Amino acid sequence: MKPSSARAPGAEPLTILIGALGGEGGGVLTDWLVATAMARGYPVQSTSIPGVAQRTGATTYYLEIYPVRRSDLDGRQPILGLYPSPGGVDLAVMSELVEAGRAMENGFVTPDRTLLIASAHRVYSIAEKSAMGDGRFDSERILRAAEKLARHTVLFDMDAAARDSGSVISSVIMGAIAGSAVLPFEQENFEAAIRDKGVAVEANLRGFHAGLELAGLRLARQSSSANLDRETTAGDTPAGDAPDAGVEGLPPQLRQRIETDFPAEVHGMVAEGARRLVDYQDARYAGLYLDRLARLPAAESFQGDPGDGHKLTRETARHLALWMSYEDAIRVADLKTRRERTEQVRADAGAKPNQPVRIVEYLDPGLDEITAVMPPFVARMLLGIGKRFPSLGRYRHPMKVRTDTVSGFLKLWLMARLRPFRRRTYRYGVEQVQIERWLDTLAQAAMRDHGLGLEVALCARLIKGYGDTYERGWGNFRRILDTLVLPALNGGGAGSLAAGQVAQAVRRAREAALADPEGTALDQVLADGDGGQAPQQDQSMRNANV
Amino acid sequence: MERSFTKEVAALRLGEGERFHGEGILAMTKALLQSGVSYVGGYQGAPVSHMMDVLGDASDILDELGVHYEVCPSEAAAAAMLGASINYPLRGAVVWKSVVGTNVASDALSNLASAGVKGGALILVGEDYGEGASIIQERSHATALKSSIWLLDPRPDHERFVTLIEQGFELSEASNTPVMMEFRIRACHVHGSFVCKDNRQPRFSRNRTLSEPARDYDRICLPPSTYLQEKQKIELRLPAAIDFIRRHGLNEVFPGDASDVGIILQGGLYNSVIRALAQLGLGDHFGNAKLPQLVLNVTHPLVPDEIVGFCRDKKAVLIVEEGQPDYIEQAINALLRKAGVGTVLFGKDVLPMAGEYTAEVLLQGLSKFVAEAAPAGIDPAPVLAEVERMERTKRAASEALGGPVPKRPPGFCVGCPERPIFSAMKIAERETGKVHISSDIGCHTFSTLPPFNLGNTVLGYGLSLASSAAVAPVFDKRVVSVMGDGGFWHNGISTGVAGAQYNKTDSVLVIVDNGFTSATGQQYIPSTTGKKNGRFADISITGVLRSLGVRWLRRVRSYKVGEMTKAFREALTTKQGGLKVILAEGECQLVRQRRIRPAIQRRLKAGRRTVRSKFGVDEALCTGDHSCVRLSGCPSLTIKPSRDPLREDPVATVDTNCVACGLCGDVAQAASLCPSFYRIDTIHHPNPWDRLLFGVRRGVIGMLQSMAGHETSWKRAA
Repeated sequence: MKPSSARAPGAEPLTILIGALGGEGGGVLTDWLVATAMARGYPVQSTSIPGVAQRTGATTYYLEIYPVRRSDLDGRQPILGLYPSPGGVDLAVMSELVEAGRAMENGFVTPDRTLLIASAHRVYSIAEKSAMGDGRFDSERILRAAEKLARHTVLFDMDAAARDSGSVISSVIMGAIAGSAVLPFEQENFEAAIRDKGVAVEANLRGFHAGLELAGLRLARQSSSANLDRETTAGDTPAGDAPDAGVEGLPPQLRQRIETDFPAEVHGMVAEGARRLVDYQDARYAGLYLDRLARLPAAESFQGDPGDGHKLTRETARHLALWMSYEDAIRVADLKTRRERTEQVRADAGAKPNQPVRIVEYLDPGLDEITAVMPPFVARMLLGIGKRFPSLGRYRHPMKVRTDTVSGFLKLWLMARLRPFRRRTYRYGVEQVQIERWLDTLAQAAMRDHGLGLEVALCARLIKGYGDTYERGWGNFRRILDTLVLPALNGGGAGSLAAGQVAQAVRRAREAALADPEGTALDQVLADGDGGQAPQQDQSMRNANV
Repeated sequence: MERSFTKEVAALRLGEGERFHGEGILAMTKALLQSGVSYVGGYQGAPVSHMMDVLGDASDILDELGVHYEVCPSEAAAAAMLGASINYPLRGAVVWKSVVGTNVASDALSNLASAGVKGGALILVGEDYGEGASIIQERSHATALKSSIWLLDPRPDHERFVTLIEQGFELSEASNTPVMMEFRIRACHVHGSFVCKDNRQPRFSRNRTLSEPARDYDRICLPPSTYLQEKQKIELRLPAAIDFIRRHGLNEVFPGDASDVGIILQGGLYNSVIRALAQLGLGDHFGNAKLPQLVLNVTHPLVPDEIVGFCRDKKAVLIVEEGQPDYIEQAINALLRKAGVGTVLFGKDVLPMAGEYTAEVLLQGLSKFVAEAAPAGIDPAPVLAEVERMERTKRAASEALGGPVPKRPPGFCVGCPERPIFSAMKIAERETGKVHISSDIGCHTFSTLPPFNLGNTVLGYGLSLASSAAVAPVFDKRVVSVMGDGGFWHNGISTGVAGAQYNKTDSVLVIVDNGFTSATGQQYIPSTTGKKNGRFADISITGVLRSLGVRWLRRVRSYKVGEMTKAFREALTTKQGGLKVILAEGECQLVRQRRIRPAIQRRLKAGRRTVRSKFGVDEALCTGDHSCVRLSGCPSLTIKPSRDPLREDPVATVDTNCVACGLCGDVAQAASLCPSFYRIDTIHHPNPWDRLLFGVRRGVIGMLQSMAGHETSWKRAA
């Protein structure tokens, strides 16, 4: 099992590295293991680096157990180490998937000796969470590396197992260690340690047994096939490219139009968009959506079928539907007052049927949100006043609305009932004009170069959010189109570049727009004229790719 | 405090022949009692906070022995406490985090070391050096050298810790010199065991008091005594110390077959060196190695004849000394040259000059030493092969992962009252523009990390305001200093507030008042409210500030982001000159949760009406921009894959760890982010009124929802 070369004579200490996040009970787990070893008469030593990491950061614990009982050592004292060494770890226990990745990165997981026990769930790091788009690290990379680097793996969602068993993750991990039979102890030795510690014994034992069983299952399966068991690691699958609801739930005339006007590969996405717009406004609005989208297939294959499953049509269908269902106060009120939503909120909070709850909405409408749902002439007048008197222009009305009370609910419910009048609101007009402009540019670009068209379509991803966030995204969107795309289509400025180069530049600019909220990266990319090289982003980030 | 030490306190009572099991830092605490200390003091900080905490919980035992335990306001105060040992035969020990604590203490330490001691004076320092360290990287060694304080660096073994603490007191008394003992972070937390002795009653103590003051002008730090003391250090105390170390065999020599080479190492690195030798095939796991070692449990002073004797018949010796400058290597070089010994010294040429000596670093250094020094009878090939294997392992891992995994820096806890302060600063910055921020030491230093990235300098504990003294006058707008309540009491009152008032500084100070020194494990401070252990002073920070003449003072509940933002805006723009102080109040959430969680559980169990709250995000309304995360960073505000097939970006979500502090909702409002946030209060064991009200409301709302539902389905059908 272990290489014989250059190794000390006699038994090797069993080395255990535990990685946890602050507050997960890594210290308790370590204490249990020490107690188990001590009770069995084995020399054991543990140490830890909590440091500042005690507050939400990654913490590590390191144990060594000498696999010969004290009684058999004739008074000799083994000298146990305080540091794990690369290539020198027998058992790597990680309470989270990226922490497992970190252990591998540091060389603590090796095919000749390491059993990797790790939870497959993710606790996102701050960089992943705060990215403006999708900053998540690709879990697959860690799973593939684990397959390659570990002698054996026991990977399952221990967080879920802890929840299901009404316990905590440290006890599930303890169970997984026992179940993987890598230490010279029996199940009852582990259990005794948990009992002796005397803290939440019943709950911890439940977690322990859950972990024990799941780990045993994983190992048994692995010995029959070399493949890693991944069934419980799928939590992160991103939104699919093709929604699978098909054309169900649509009025027949819309369904028919989708089936005749669009290639089969994009039916799912187009139908999803149409459904969204029926839900948002009405069937007529969804009809407008299909009208707008109808020219895409032709524009897409203007220079021949690019053979990518009509990606341009699909992505345009996605972003057009999102744009057309822009979030105004009517939409917000509508979604917040639906029955499904109330049920969802109750379920998320774990409320039992008939259990009384109070729900408080945090709203902050400002001049923009208020004028958005007003008739255009009133809105223009108010916005004009707002421009002249900035203090009025900054007007906001923070409110906490109780949607569990009749009066609070009515406020939003009545707002939602304005839906039939949406077409006559100020923002509706503004958005429709911009949507048409985008589609014109997009179609024009696609006929010039398919790739450029796709990039223009994807730029719509920048337009999202509310208030300042929306303004920022919208501004970035316009800047990219005005600086890079329009000159290229009109033959001036960047127009001297080949369309392919422009497409590249647009992609870089789009990624840069999602790199920082201050727009520093975008400024830099646009200043480079042809887009230049996008500023180096952290390679660990999965970028705005599709 | 973060941990209760009831169990550990019981271990402090163990008697002769009984076996102690536990953390290194607790073994040392027991060793102090076995040595007959009269007094103990210190200042908390990782990795030695537990010693303070356990002593705080052990008042019964301390009272029985008459040991005085003092929670010192700073390390300077702790070091000054050792003044009790100058004139009287009192053994005393103080403890703190080094190197920062040693720096704070150095005024008192210099004077103490100059005067010399009659009773044993021991300074226990937790050395926070290397990976995971939270402070500047320096060696405490320098302090020992310049002040003539003896420095112990014990082999990480509980028996050795305990014996050396006892011998440390004897050494201190034999040489009239304070003794410092350093423990690396891993050694403090190492779990092991030793056989105990009975605790010893001190000769003089609270129970056996002194009655006659002793006075000796030679012990007073004023000329001409100081000249005499400086001479005594070299002429009397140093020889006495060297004699004691040699006679009692404080340093250890372990023989090896390859006697033409050897290793001289700091005691604290012993286990790591032995492990590296074993992994390289040059030794076993019981300390039997092919290369002989001289283990320096005392790293200052060195015993010249021990060093020369060890090196004399060796062609090459490796010095394993962590950190820089390489004081020991330089000293040994000089010793050998004076003794005319030609042994080639290896050290910082094969090992890194700076940084922690981890397993990996030592493996590489030792293999280089073996390859270059070529000890007789050792084939370097398998040694080098082992290192190559290790490097291959890491390369394979980085290839398999295809890039670095995301870092996980520490941050504010769920519901931390300090987070909203920085959310408010970020929001205020939108109007006032960016300002220079002097940060301080404490949990609030996390503001310098993502997602806030706020703070331009950190100069030391309680020193933020002082460190802005020369920045403020050269800026066209006001600068801000952030200081914790811990820092305020430690140092900030005089160096910061009094200094700023005296110099009429026009700037803004934010005091983070959470009631505890939270970063070190929530120890009490003079402004901690309530009364436990009889130690609470409950001194008002506001009262202190007023008495120092601060006129512009705002007390704001930190969670009220709107008010906090307003306070910032006002402080930064008001026409009023002078120091403007914002006292941001909010109890440490860790402490609060430890208090209220069991209470809630008890209520629930007893069937009493209980309201539990949590925040949430409407998935359908979240567009996945994550501005909310960038303005909060709360661990419970996270992301999840969107279930909407049209949206690709993950959406924000609040997980079940939420403590309903309300920050995310308030930020969404204060920064006009989005309407996605809501709070839900679930009423457990509702009373009849709750049920009735809820039933009626749900009936009406349900009716309205049905009406709206018809409308939707009608539209769909159309």
